[in-house]
Amino acid sequence: MPDRLRRLLSGPASLGYAVLTATAVTYLLVYTTNLGHLPTSFDYLSILNTTLPLVFVAIGQSLVVITGGIDLSVGGIVAFCVAVTATRVHGSGLTPFAWLLAILALGTACGAVNGVIVARARIAPILTTLATLSIFSGLALWVLPVPGGSIPSGVRMVLTNPTVPTGLIWLSLAVLGWLVLRRTRFGMRVYAVGSDETSAVAIGVPAARIKIAVYALSGLCSALAAVFYVSTTTAGDANAGGPFILTSIASVVVGGVAFSGGRGSALGAMAGAVALTLVIDVIFFAGIDPLYQSLFQGLFLVVAVLLGTGAALIARARRGAL
Amino acid sequence: MSTTEIGGPSWRARLRALTPNTRRVLYAWAAAVAVIAIGSLFNPDFATWSSLRVMLVVASFIGFVAAGQMLVVLVGGIDLSIPWVLNGAAIVLTTTSLGQTGRTGLALALALGLGAVIGFANGMGVAWLGVPAVVMTLGMNGVMQGLTLGLSKGLTCASCASYAPKPLREVFVDKVFGVPAQLLLWAGVALLLTVLLTLTTFGRRVYAVGVSPRGAYLSGVSVRGVTVALYTLSGVFAAIAGIALVAYGGQPSLGLGDPYLFESIAAVVVGGVSILGGRGHYVGVVAGSLTLVAVVTFLQAQRVPEYGRSIIYGLVILAILLTYGREKSNA
Amino acid sequence: MVLTEKSEMQVMAIEASGVDRAFGGVQALRGASFAARPAEIHALAGENGAGKSTLIKVLCGVITADRGKVEIFGQQVRRVVEPAARRGLGVATAFQELSLIPDLTVAENLLLHSPPRGRLGLVRRGRLVPEAEAILHRYGVDYIDSRLTAAELSVAHRQVVELVRVLATEPRVLILDEPTAALPDKQVEWLSGHMRRLRDAGTCVIFTSHRWREIEALADRVTVMRNGTHVATRENLSEAEAVTLMSGRTFEGTYPDVTTIATGETALRVSDLRGGRLQGVSFSMRQGEILGVGGLAGQGQRDLFLTLFGAQRAAAGNLEVGGFPVTLRRPRDAIRAGLGIAYVPEDRKAEGLFLPLSIRDNIALATLARRSSGGLVSRGREAQAVASLVGQLRIGAGRSTSQAVGNLSGGNQQKVLMARWLLTDAQVLLLFDVTRGVDAATKRDIFDLIAQLAAQGKAILFYSSETEEIAHLCHRVLVLREGRVAVELDGPVRDAERIVAASLKEVPGA
Repeated sequence: MPDRLRRLLSGPASLGYAVLTATAVTYLLVYTTNLGHLPTSFDYLSILNTTLPLVFVAIGQSLVVITGGIDLSVGGIVAFCVAVTATRVHGSGLTPFAWLLAILALGTACGAVNGVIVARARIAPILTTLATLSIFSGLALWVLPVPGGSIPSGVRMVLTNPTVPTGLIWLSLAVLGWLVLRRTRFGMRVYAVGSDETSAVAIGVPAARIKIAVYALSGLCSALAAVFYVSTTTAGDANAGGPFILTSIASVVVGGVAFSGGRGSALGAMAGAVALTLVIDVIFFAGIDPLYQSLFQGLFLVVAVLLGTGAALIARARRGAL
Repeated sequence: MSTTEIGGPSWRARLRALTPNTRRVLYAWAAAVAVIAIGSLFNPDFATWSSLRVMLVVASFIGFVAAGQMLVVLVGGIDLSIPWVLNGAAIVLTTTSLGQTGRTGLALALALGLGAVIGFANGMGVAWLGVPAVVMTLGMNGVMQGLTLGLSKGLTCASCASYAPKPLREVFVDKVFGVPAQLLLWAGVALLLTVLLTLTTFGRRVYAVGVSPRGAYLSGVSVRGVTVALYTLSGVFAAIAGIALVAYGGQPSLGLGDPYLFESIAAVVVGGVSILGGRGHYVGVVAGSLTLVAVVTFLQAQRVPEYGRSIIYGLVILAILLTYGREKSNA
Repeated sequence: MVLTEKSEMQVMAIEASGVDRAFGGVQALRGASFAARPAEIHALAGENGAGKSTLIKVLCGVITADRGKVEIFGQQVRRVVEPAARRGLGVATAFQELSLIPDLTVAENLLLHSPPRGRLGLVRRGRLVPEAEAILHRYGVDYIDSRLTAAELSVAHRQVVELVRVLATEPRVLILDEPTAALPDKQVEWLSGHMRRLRDAGTCVIFTSHRWREIEALADRVTVMRNGTHVATRENLSEAEAVTLMSGRTFEGTYPDVTTIATGETALRVSDLRGGRLQGVSFSMRQGEILGVGGLAGQGQRDLFLTLFGAQRAAAGNLEVGGFPVTLRRPRDAIRAGLGIAYVPEDRKAEGLFLPLSIRDNIALATLARRSSGGLVSRGREAQAVASLVGQLRIGAGRSTSQAVGNLSGGNQQKVLMARWLLTDAQVLLLFDVTRGVDAATKRDIFDLIAQLAAQGKAILFYSSETEEIAHLCHRVLVLREGRVAVELDGPVRDAERIVAASLKEVPGA
């Protein structure tokens, strides 16, 4: 058992877990000193429901970053899917759920477009997704020119029930999904492509197909995020996607995923996403002017990465000394 | 460009004989000319001087931020802190000058100094601490956003309603020989950067670092020094853009810099600078900035709604990237 | 090839004909052809840059030929066939620049294509290590820990894993590109055993090696390549014949005369230099002297050169340049130190040249400050300095100096690099394997240049992966063994065997 524990702590996601633990402890301290009691289940549930969309986007983003790329278009895909969700998903019975499936397919297709351009046309991921960000954002505005729309309460009760922690189920499913993916041959190949694409191609890994699939999965994750976003906010906004671009990258970084590719885990990125959301609550309960929010998020990001590199350096020095 | 075809079969060979750097500048200008030519097909007034002048003025703001962005992209980096360095500098300018002519110098120095300090910090983080450029500058953008919002209390502070000092505003509203002064400033920046990158020892070192940091190091180049200098310059250029925007518009606003992050990257790439580093010229980036503005202006003139503009804008960038922005497998 | 002819003959295991392939401005293969039968060990010989590695990559489908065709067991493979498809055809390749994935563990690397799976088709991660260990055991290399990532292994062990990976596919065509370059003798024997076993089982085994000994011992047939094309395929080939075929010339008289002994002042004195693989190296060299550094691969030669140039920190030791002690923290210090030190690396692309930049920019880079005032480069003075060197070294046959270096051939690229350092007027030149991948004519030019520079009074430290070159070109040779100077030979040694013999003496386990 200690062996397994050590592996968990030295694994690629350890930075994310460490940062999440530190943030969670700070949150509990700040909350109880301010309000005189521990957070209630309502608090936990609200954190869970607000953090879910970012968690999903972070999973997709981490997959892309593991292949050595970056996906700026998550903002556009989230916005597009939010717009479609808020305007098309209504009615009762099974119809809204059929629409939800269609929206997931839509997000996947958008992601696949990125993948094809990156893998087949060989345009740098940052540029490809910058251009498609503009396209998908435009599509979002076309569907939903002014903020509005709605979502049936039936769907809401299933996705992000404000009183029952259904969100927990979805979070567990996301974790499970990642664990399954990691245990497929596809999962192994994703890391191979990210670690050294030339070598991977030389030994017969179909790198182009892997990349297309990864960008498509990132699109799927963005669509999931959009659905949960509309469910928590109960309305849509074509500009909803913007903030996810930089926060998802931040989550991935805090989660210990290496930008050079090939190293990291979506679990770390998920932890990073929750930690980033918690920081906002910490700032709130610490009585700091919320205007300073991004200052702390920015510092948080840089310090987390410095801690990560520092820890890696110490580990290497120790290994070298042995 | 099509005019070179007169030379017969040799133009192709001549094009190939150029260094990739020069070739990319040609492509970028060809793209700008093509967009303007297409625009004037639909609307004869599109290519008139008065219309071009307006486009150039709008393009100059992109040109300033893209100048900094290009410098860091040349060494394979990226600067995501541009939006709030720009915004912060704009607010520092008005809140320290309080619109008073006598304080113009001080306010300018503070705004530019802010850009330099933040850029320097970015450079130190990237070059000495080994933080990936995306992370360092993204974090710095957050820090600047928080500081700007917090210290100006969400732009509600007493001095926040101030305007840019009058002499500064006049520079940006006045015309010199019928040319907006701002365009002269842009031309100055273009000249300065071109000289810096092509005629100075520093410029030569920048390209060497961009192509191969290891090779540059083994040739005696101080790779870290060059990197820090470039990030510092990027901060300064973001500040210049902030000053220009606030002098032009009179008052700063929150989120002033937000559109300029992605536009600066787009202008740099459409201008033929390789995102992998080591290739490109500012002359191309000028064309890139103009191309982006021409596309938007054309679509506005055609009364294309916002969503359509956004879609077409993305498609045009993709088309340009497909034409000359591909990654070459042989370095 | 005509069809009737083929039916009479045995079907070739793998066959390439009329293959062209260029990289940038360099034509790596011109009309190259190659054929190997089943159940034979076929060596592919040729000088560096002859096109062996490129041909191998075309054979196994990693790169596409510009022209020509490849047939595997008589079946033509389409122009672009991914390596995955060739795996289906029974072709397995171990590459020179290893193709292990650095961040994956040895187990994951070995089982990437067919990991152990349980229900639902999911990979049973718990089974990865045991299965990998079973494979490693089957090939008798239990000493490798399959839980380490490839990046954590030593170069030799990485090579062993790479070989096990391809051997384990039990291929019908096995291609090995320089499989022994990184291997100690013991593992070379291990590999030879497996190559023979597979040959006897009917596999076509193709390999390249720069050690003639191995080719002689293993190969049933040898194909010689030169300048990107097929020269000859023989069953019996002596080393002398092979050298003639590979170089297209006889060796006598190709080297400049270096019999006069240098009597200049001491240019460089090194005492007890340590760091990296260096375990205390001491020597001194005079102005006008060409000092060779010999020894088996990986005895600290590279560390010595990098440390003397300040690109790698010395752990201990003293350095005197022109009689003055110096401390080198970075290459800039070396360039400025006393008489000036210059380092010309073997890996032109990674360490030396800036391919997209112009010839002029490449040559002027290390001496920018000298032809500038106030940070502005004087284009006139620069053009003048560059032009004189371009003329002197005959670079690029009259091309404009504003052309990108990437358009030049390998030999000309090497000359550009030499020119950069000549411009620094450095009196101490560290030349590390500068003739690698350079054609014979350019080699001759470079040798003449080196002799000429020595005659001008420069001190030259020379290393080459071709021991032959060290034997003929140097006034004196230091043979490195395990990070120390084992033997010092007076030159010209002429007989490369003497250097090889000195390299081998007293090496434990050899």
